[in-house]
Amino acid sequence: MSLLRVDELRVDVDDKTILNGLSLAVDAGEVHAVMGPNGSGKSTFANVLAGRPGYDVTGGTIAMDGADITELAPEERSHRGLFLAFQYPVEIPGVSNMEFLKAAVDAQARIRGEDEPSAPEFIGRARDAASRLDLDVDFLKRGVNDGFSGGEKKRNEILQMLLLEPRLAVLDETDSGLDIDALQVVAAGINAFRDEGNAVVLVTHYQRLLNYVVPDRVHVLTGGRIVRSGDRSLALELEEKGYGWLDA
Amino acid sequence: MAGSTPDEAAVARRLLQTGPNDYAPWFDRNACTAVIADQGLPAIRSEAWKYTNVGRWYETVLEATRPVHRETVVESPEEVDVRDFSDTRAADLFGPQATFDLTRYPLAAVNGLLLGAGLAIRVPAGCQASQTVRISHLPSAYQHCLVSVEAGAAVELVEEPSPYTHRIVEAVVHEGAVLRHRRRQAGASTRECSLVAVNVATGGRYELSQLSLGADLRRNDILVTLAGDGAETALQSAWRVDGRAHLDNQVAVEHTLPGGTSRQTYRGVAAGRARAVLNGRIHIAPGAQHSDATLSTKNLLADATAEVYAKPELTIFANDVKCSHGATVGAMDEDAVHYFRSRGIDEDRARGLFVRGFLREAIDDLAVAETLGVVV
Amino acid sequence: MPDQDTLQDLVGREHAATGSDYSAGFVTDIEADTLPPGLDESVVRAISTKKEEPAWMTEWRLDAFRRWQEMHAPRWAHVRFPDIDFQAISYFSAPKGDAPKSLDEVDPELLRTYEKLGIPLHERARLAGVREEDMPEVAVDAVFDSVSVATTFKDRLADAGVVFCSMSEAIREHPELVRKYLGSVVPKPDNFYAALNSAVFSDGSFVYVPKHTRCPMELSTYFRINAENTGQFERTLIIADEGAYVSYLEGCTAPMRDENQLHAAVVELVALDDAEIKYSTVQNWYPGDDEGNGGIYNFVTKRGACLGERSKISWTQVETGSAITWKYPSVVLRGADSVGEFYSVALTRNFQQADTGTKMTHIGPRTKSTIISKGISAGRSQNSYRGRVRMNPGAKGARNYTQCDSLLIGEQCGAHTFPYIESKLPSAMVEHEATTSKVSDEQLFLCQQRGIDPEKAVSMIVNGFCRDVFRTLPMEFAVEAAKLLEVSLEGAVG
Repeated sequence: MSLLRVDELRVDVDDKTILNGLSLAVDAGEVHAVMGPNGSGKSTFANVLAGRPGYDVTGGTIAMDGADITELAPEERSHRGLFLAFQYPVEIPGVSNMEFLKAAVDAQARIRGEDEPSAPEFIGRARDAASRLDLDVDFLKRGVNDGFSGGEKKRNEILQMLLLEPRLAVLDETDSGLDIDALQVVAAGINAFRDEGNAVVLVTHYQRLLNYVVPDRVHVLTGGRIVRSGDRSLALELEEKGYGWLDA
Repeated sequence: MAGSTPDEAAVARRLLQTGPNDYAPWFDRNACTAVIADQGLPAIRSEAWKYTNVGRWYETVLEATRPVHRETVVESPEEVDVRDFSDTRAADLFGPQATFDLTRYPLAAVNGLLLGAGLAIRVPAGCQASQTVRISHLPSAYQHCLVSVEAGAAVELVEEPSPYTHRIVEAVVHEGAVLRHRRRQAGASTRECSLVAVNVATGGRYELSQLSLGADLRRNDILVTLAGDGAETALQSAWRVDGRAHLDNQVAVEHTLPGGTSRQTYRGVAAGRARAVLNGRIHIAPGAQHSDATLSTKNLLADATAEVYAKPELTIFANDVKCSHGATVGAMDEDAVHYFRSRGIDEDRARGLFVRGFLREAIDDLAVAETLGVVV
Repeated sequence: MPDQDTLQDLVGREHAATGSDYSAGFVTDIEADTLPPGLDESVVRAISTKKEEPAWMTEWRLDAFRRWQEMHAPRWAHVRFPDIDFQAISYFSAPKGDAPKSLDEVDPELLRTYEKLGIPLHERARLAGVREEDMPEVAVDAVFDSVSVATTFKDRLADAGVVFCSMSEAIREHPELVRKYLGSVVPKPDNFYAALNSAVFSDGSFVYVPKHTRCPMELSTYFRINAENTGQFERTLIIADEGAYVSYLEGCTAPMRDENQLHAAVVELVALDDAEIKYSTVQNWYPGDDEGNGGIYNFVTKRGACLGERSKISWTQVETGSAITWKYPSVVLRGADSVGEFYSVALTRNFQQADTGTKMTHIGPRTKSTIISKGISAGRSQNSYRGRVRMNPGAKGARNYTQCDSLLIGEQCGAHTFPYIESKLPSAMVEHEATTSKVSDEQLFLCQQRGIDPEKAVSMIVNGFCRDVFRTLPMEFAVEAAKLLEVSLEGAVG
């Protein structure tokens, strides 16, 4: 059974069809890259997986571990282990990163019937994760994404992923806006995260992240559907020839 | 002080007894009479006149005709249709109270009854006026200008300094039209009140650039209604008042439909025994989502005898909006003055340069200011 | 905009919530000695007689009453309500029996009432929700309708020289202090409701902290309105003598009733040289039901005078209750280098209306004031900040900084800002900033994606918005305030 299975997904935004029969299956232990030009529906796909309001699913299904999650609320998907790293992380002034992360981790623990981690234990974990991402400890005390640089915001998304330990991580253009050093730090974080029990979907325009996070499968999304799938060499071919090559 | 000025009831009585002027009889004065009869005139020290003694303006109203220029001096390009109110076709432009509620601006009713000079200005649809419409003098103390900038048209309107007791400038900026409005106000001994009321339709834009020098009493009521999706306005006003001058700007920008953008920028300097007042309101009506409104006012007090009153207001009835205002009142930056002086610039010149730079944040064409002797 | 759906769903659910989330809304069944409704000189005299006041006090009240009769109810605030019939209100209601001499004599029913409200009137005072070891001791003065029913820790405070008692007792025991300072900060004819209060006030708290004394514990007054058709008119006077320090907390609740009830208090603070007074309020008067029926009209005059050099007065308020809140805790900065602060969180929901803010009047040189106001509007409520900063000619080198932020939740509420800045001297610096924001759908979605349910998310975001104010509260009050906000928001957003 696939960890994520998307069947013939059709999605409208403001009465305009964006996804038009998209199908994809991802197994545990795999990393998949979904690539495509601007406007191909990549971000829509990432957001629909997470259940963002404003996207109208008109057909098809999304399933995790065989259970249909198409109609679930965003927090319910989160509780099942789905994590979205946002393309544009939102600022929440006044709410400290630490407080936010603790609330999220506590919510997950409650759903799993586990004890909420104690404050010292949690702080230890958060500090550990922060240092792995080259983030200063002060970073945890600052407001969520409030006044963060573009690179800090992206690293903060990966920090949350490491702490929440999701089963399926969907990373929406996490590589955009990162310089080469930050890109390597983020890639190291993703590589440290991947294991046999979880899966990663990388949504990206460029293949440069794939130099550091090697995908098992690469899919090309244009016109709201997957038009080609292959191994890593497909990404390199795209890099060389551009997306226009697919239309030829 | 209030005791020596006429009270509002006496003025109202006199106006109602005398009745309206016979100038431009098509102009409907019934509403003016009704407002004065029903609600009366603003009382001295009422909230709207908290910082300005309206009684001193009433004094001017009760005086016999004040000396005014005897002729109309207006320049305009050919393609713009300009008519005096004595021409009955001026009535076709739009109704006299199309842009504001008379009960809210009762002084406009006084203007209506005593009206002696009116201009109707129409910029035809799509017309990009080749020259400025420049109003230099109008032949009465009570004046009314109606401006209609039709769809897609653009024009610049300039008010030169000229004495009046009350002036109304009403404008409708139609879809996609642009009105650039420049006001120059000077004249140390006058007591002048004015009302600018502008309606901006979808995609229209209204820009105001206002420079005011001291007057014995000057009050500007400005109401801009963003009455169309995506309407825009930029209001920029600078003033420098000294001596015993009194300046009161009361500005309201009202976003009545979604998607409007407004920018208000005020910079003022008060010196001598002058008093400067700014009340600037941003109003977002219910449902006017995605409105984007800002107001910034900065004030310098140059002397310990001058006074500044600033009241930026927000009244917000929609949640998905971006609104902010900021206000400061303080002294000239002495470090900056010192910096100038350390470079060999004498103190007066240094202060002059500082003030000019400060006012320039609101109004950039200080060439005009200098000819008026504002700076240095 | 499609993203609007989430928040609208939440706000829409508001109608499902009932007033039952107001946990303090019960009525205590206790025999009361209540004056019949109506107000004239004889009522003023009757109140004075009941309180066994000296003649000077009776005259003081009658003078206030005569002035009040000449005055008109103010109408300038951004609030709407029908005219109040001042003859339909009872001006005095007290639990029957002689005033208790000690805590042991207090009616057990009253003790149970305060216990239920989380304000135990024993001398191991502990507010709900806080672990005992974290909790400093707090002395409590409990005012029930028109009278103070108990004051705790009086002996311990007396050892330190601190006077903490009911106003009635202060008039009897400390007439020289009362005569000197009562009405010195808020004069009798200051405003309509202050004049009314001066005529009919029934009780309240009195604090005197002597020279160079740091009050050994937090002081607090807990106001409870219980009787029907009764107004509560309490009067508080706090004097910090040279070099003294006191932190004072005020809390309040009332039963749920369909009729509006009037609460018109006056609070006066006096700080002499180098003295500091910190006054914190968590206001949770009954706000009315979700249809807008009932609730307290909270029309209060609070003002502090920094008389002494380097003195400091801080007001912190968390306003979540009342149908209408109308108050401006203010500071008159007379002493050179004195400091005034105002930190406020005002939350309105359903049909609540709040018009609140402060007045900072700078008179002395180098005086400083800070104003931080956070307004949160939800439902169909209207929330206004109104403030005045005045720099008088003597206030050389004075400074003010003001920050007013509004947060709107839902499409039918209003958030308004009316700052008055008045300056008469160049060397004074005034800075004011205001912003408006909303709980965005993007913020909610981010929280939900991380597994946090929407109600918790909204309360977290609102708490973050209020952080700058909460951190000025004493710890035990900060906990209470955050919880109160959470409870209030439950009705407002989900």
